[in-house]
This record gives sequence, C-alpha cells and structure tokens, in this order.
Amino acid sequence: MSDTIETLARPAHREVTSDRTAKRVMWLYIGPGLILVGAMVIAGLGLRMAQGGMHTFQPGLFYSLMTLHGSAMMVGMALCGMGLLWYLFAQEGPLNPTTAVVACALILIGAVLVAISVLVGGFGAAWTFLYPLPFVGTYWPSWATGVFLAGIACVVLGWTIWCLQMLGGVLTRYGGLRGAFAWDLVWSPSKFAKSGQTPPPPQAFAVLVSAVDGLLAGSAGMLVGVALFVRWLDPTLPLDPLWVKNLTYIFGHTLANLTIYMPLAAVYVALPRYTHHRHWHTSAVLAVAWWATLVFVAIAYFHHLYMDFAQPRAVQYIGEAASYLAAFPPAVVTVFGGALLVYRSGFRWTLGSMFLYVGMIGWVVGGIGALLDVTVAFNIYFHNTLWVVAHFHTYLLEGALLFVLGWVFHCLEERSGIVSSRAVRTLIGLGVFGGGAWLLLGWYLAGAQGVPRRYALQPAPGTDISWWASLGGIILVVGLIMCGIEAIRLARRPAHREVPAA
Amino acid sequence: MRLTPELTIFSVFLILAAVAIGTLVAIASAAHGPAVEQAAVQKSGYRLRRVWFRGLAISAVVAFLLSLPAFPYRTRSQLASSLHHPVTALQFAFVIPPVLPVDTPIVLDVTATDVNHGVGIYDPDGRIVAQVQAMPGYTNPLQLVFKKPGQYLVLCMEYCGIAHHLMRATFEVR
Repeated sequence: MSDTIETLARPAHREVTSDRTAKRVMWLYIGPGLILVGAMVIAGLGLRMAQGGMHTFQPGLFYSLMTLHGSAMMVGMALCGMGLLWYLFAQEGPLNPTTAVVACALILIGAVLVAISVLVGGFGAAWTFLYPLPFVGTYWPSWATGVFLAGIACVVLGWTIWCLQMLGGVLTRYGGLRGAFAWDLVWSPSKFAKSGQTPPPPQAFAVLVSAVDGLLAGSAGMLVGVALFVRWLDPTLPLDPLWVKNLTYIFGHTLANLTIYMPLAAVYVALPRYTHHRHWHTSAVLAVAWWATLVFVAIAYFHHLYMDFAQPRAVQYIGEAASYLAAFPPAVVTVFGGALLVYRSGFRWTLGSMFLYVGMIGWVVGGIGALLDVTVAFNIYFHNTLWVVAHFHTYLLEGALLFVLGWVFHCLEERSGIVSSRAVRTLIGLGVFGGGAWLLLGWYLAGAQGVPRRYALQPAPGTDISWWASLGGIILVVGLIMCGIEAIRLARRPAHREVPAA
Repeated sequence: MRLTPELTIFSVFLILAAVAIGTLVAIASAAHGPAVEQAAVQKSGYRLRRVWFRGLAISAVVAFLLSLPAFPYRTRSQLASSLHHPVTALQFAFVIPPVLPVDTPIVLDVTATDVNHGVGIYDPDGRIVAQVQAMPGYTNPLQLVFKKPGQYLVLCMEYCGIAHHLMRATFEVR
C-alpha cells in the first residue's frame, strides 16, 4: 500500500502554464471565494437564528441580508470552482493568466457593487431579483437597484470572459469540439484506439460543460440584466414578466448547478491520489454522461416554473423529464465511479480525501431531495417551501463546498507533507457533517409541513423548527472554524516534497 | 404529528437518504485495508452498474408516468365546466372570495397587479392543498375541489417585498 499522495504529473512535452503562476491564479479565485462563502455562512446562520426567534432582525434588514447571502454565496462558490478548474486545466494546456485576473477582478468589483447596494442602499429583491420586484413597492432607494444590476453585470461579464477563455483552451488543446467531446471515442472506439490518440481527461469535460452551459447562462443573465437596467433608466419600458422569469432561471438555475459541477473536477483528479495506484480514466460512458449533463442541466430549469400555468404545457413535461435525466450522470457514472474507485483501494483517509468522499454523499442526498421536488405531483406541496432551501443547501454545503475544501486540503497536505490527526478529522467531521445534517434536517422537516421559504417571521411550526435547526447551524460553523484553523496550521508549515505516512 | 402525504414523502426521503448514506459509508469502510487491483474491481463493478442503470431508468419512467395525472395544467375545455372565481394578489394582500363551495370543482383565476406572488392554500388542518403563482399580466387557472369544509388560509409563496411574510388571507369553505 502506498503511503504517499501521488503528486500531479505535469506533462513535459506540452506547453502549459507554469505551476507557480497557475497556483497563484487558483488562490486568487479560491481565496476571496472562500472568504465570501465563510462570511455568508455566518450571515445565513444569523438569518436562521432570527427565524428561530433567537434574536430579531427588522424585516427590511432580514430581506436585504437574505439578498446578500444568496448573491454572495453564488459568487463565492463560483469563484472557488473557477479557480480550481483554471488550475487543473492549466496542467493540460496554456492559459493566459492576465485574462483570468481580469475576469476575477470584474467578478470581485461586481461583488463589491452588490454589497454596496445591499449594505448601504438596503437593496432586498433576493438574489433572483425577479421582475418587476426590483422596481415596484420597494423599501430601498432606486439607486440601489441600479448599483445591484451594475454589480450583477460585472459578475456576468467576468464569468463570460472566464467561460470564453476555458472554452478556447479546451477546444485548442483537444482539436475542436469533436476532440473535446471525445466524439470518436464514443462512436468509433476501435478506430480511435488504433489511431493512438488519447481522450481528454475527465476534468476536461467539467471544463467544457461549465464553459458551454456557463456561456448560455451568462448570455441569459446579460440579456435580462440589460433589459432590467434599461427598465431602471426608463420606467415606461414594458417587459414581459414571464419572459424575464424564464431568462432569470436559465441564468440562476444553470449557474447554481455549475457551482457543483465545477469543483467536481477535484474529485476526478485528487480522489485517485489517495488510492493505491488507481486512476480515473475517460471512457465512452463518462463522455456520454457529460454530454447528457450539458443538455439536461441547461433545460431542467423549467421546474422552477411549474406553478406558472401560463408556461407552454410541453415545457412542464420536459422540465420533469430533464430533471430526472440530469440525475443519471452523477448516479450512474460519477458517484458510482467514485465509489468503485475507492472500494478496496487501500485508501488513505485524510481531511482532503474525507471531504471529497463525503461531498459525493452530500451530492447524492441533495439530489434525492431535488428529485422529489421536481416531481410535479410533489412540487404542488413543496414549491417555494423550505424543502427547496433544504435540497440546494444539501448539495451546496455538504457537496460542492466539501469538494472545494477537499481540494484545498489536498493542496495543503501535498505542499506541507503532513496530514491532520485522526482526532482533528473526527472533530471537524462531527462539526461539518453532523452539524450540517442537523441544520439541513430542519429545512426538510419544515418544508414537508408547508412552511414557505423566504419568510422573516415563519408560521408554525417554522419558528420552533428553525430554533432547533439553528443549533445544528452553530455546530456547523464551529466545524468550519476548526477547518479554517487547521488549514492555516498546514499552510504555515514549510513546503515539503515528500508526504509521510498518516 | 399526523402522517400527511407530505410527511410520507419526507419519510421516503429519509429512507432513500439512509440507504444512499449507508451504501457509501459501507464502501468507504471497505476502502482501506489490502488493496485489490483496479481491473478486478471494475469487472464486477461495471456489471453492477448496468443493473443499476436499468433499475434507475425503469424507476424514472414509472415515476414520470405515475406523475402525469397529477400535473395541474388544464385545457380550456376542461376548465369550461367549472365555476370560475377571480383571485388577485397585490403587495401585500389577496383579493379572494370570502366563501367557496365544498365538494364542487371550481377554478381560481389567479393574477397579480404589481409583482410576482404565490398563492399557497392551506386547509383547516394547516396542510398545503394547492398552490399557483400569481404573475402580473397573466392569469393562471387553478382547478381544485375543496374536500373539507372550514376556514382555509392563503399564504404568499413568492418573495414579494418587505411584508411578504405578512401577506395572507382567509376564506370559508362550506
């Protein structure tokens, strides 16, 4: 059994971005991303405690903080995934760091503008800013709406630049769309094998799908952003609320989904390094799974509009079918493949590998909650209740965030040459997974009893459940703080090339 | 706590989640210890995956087909035979008939005058029985039959501003 973490083999024959530069770009994204996520976890806990009656927020402050929580969490998680993917793809082909820095700067400027609009202006239309809400019956000044929309525009612009860079990189590296999609591997496998070519590695599919679906989401976001900005300048401009709602959810749903699929690349790359010489290779099944993800993530958003009976009826059926089908690639390929990779592999448990593995569990559990919610027969009960909050927090907090933390700790373990003790792992695990599960269970239970989401003061039994769930949230935050302390401890260790036994 | 359909779904969720967590934890517990060659694990693993895929595909098709009758969308002819009642949502109130009939198919024609709202209808036991969005410029026809007489509560299900949580109405079914 190997006692070392296999380090990333950098291809010597290809032109790639220098590792030092790539790492700097990665931390430029992940650093602020994690700071934003951490701050928003605290803000979220404050909101939850207010719902539980542990303290009081005036409704205006509650809804403004809720808006900041949603917006900044999306930006923070996206930044983490973007930095991680940028670094991983920089091992495969050259990427211009200046372009990545410009994209990151635009996103951070956008985040600052959003923060100003909320914290100074009191903007509170939720991160989904569903038209006509940002303009009608507001409790914040008009300028705050303009600044918020400008902030979102900056974020979308930075995101689009990143997507274009990654798409350009992946197409150049693998010989256009045909190569990047591994078309020949799927349709002419024997010919492909004889040609001596190798397909893109699994993480390249995460890059491709994030870039393509990301451009679709970015275009929808930019379109709706411009439309609302013009409406802000000219209040007489008529906009169709259903058209705007569709665009808003193409943007929001797709971006939220990609915040999960982007850090998934860390699982492909890092998980095998904790096994005894096992590898995650690209097969035809994996390629087809990512094709499916590309399509179904983009069209599953229709389930957000089930209760809008004015939608064309066909898209409601497509919404349910696409939402079911979107679950197949994770269930059949990625999580199944991850479990198979780990099974009897002589696996080494460290903080990094624990987060990566448990992240897959969180993703599956959140997915089960989501599948129940996207079934129209059940959505009648769960639509816009706390059930929705429950399932997306499950795969963001206990899925995507754990993938990011897993990658961060993998990097720290690799660099410092040490791994955290079993006691530290247990304590952090109890806090992050135990506290997290407790917090999440409260949302599921309240959702199942019809408690609506986004309520400053909840009807019964919401308040009591929120009070109890807040205790889980406090434990989760303690776990995350321990995690931060452990990360700082590892980061302060001098760089070491060889990793000792656990 | 009474076992309503929603709590039954919650129980199903808990069971499925427990099975998923249990399976993945069992695999994790078999992860360390003597390593087995990847090819040996893959051979049986891929066979299992085919079974898993077929099982999931069949479950998805069955679930989709079973859910079709519950889709709440009706054609114009299906709606024509029911009595229609207008419902209007606005910041932060509902305009809704004070009395509605029991055991009679009715249609609530739901719209909004300012921003998006949601109409969530809770029966006298506090159970959510129906919901629909209220959007300015559109009318969403919600067909339903109230099975129980008594006082029903309406809550707003789409965030609509500073008094969203206070936006409610009641009506009597008899």
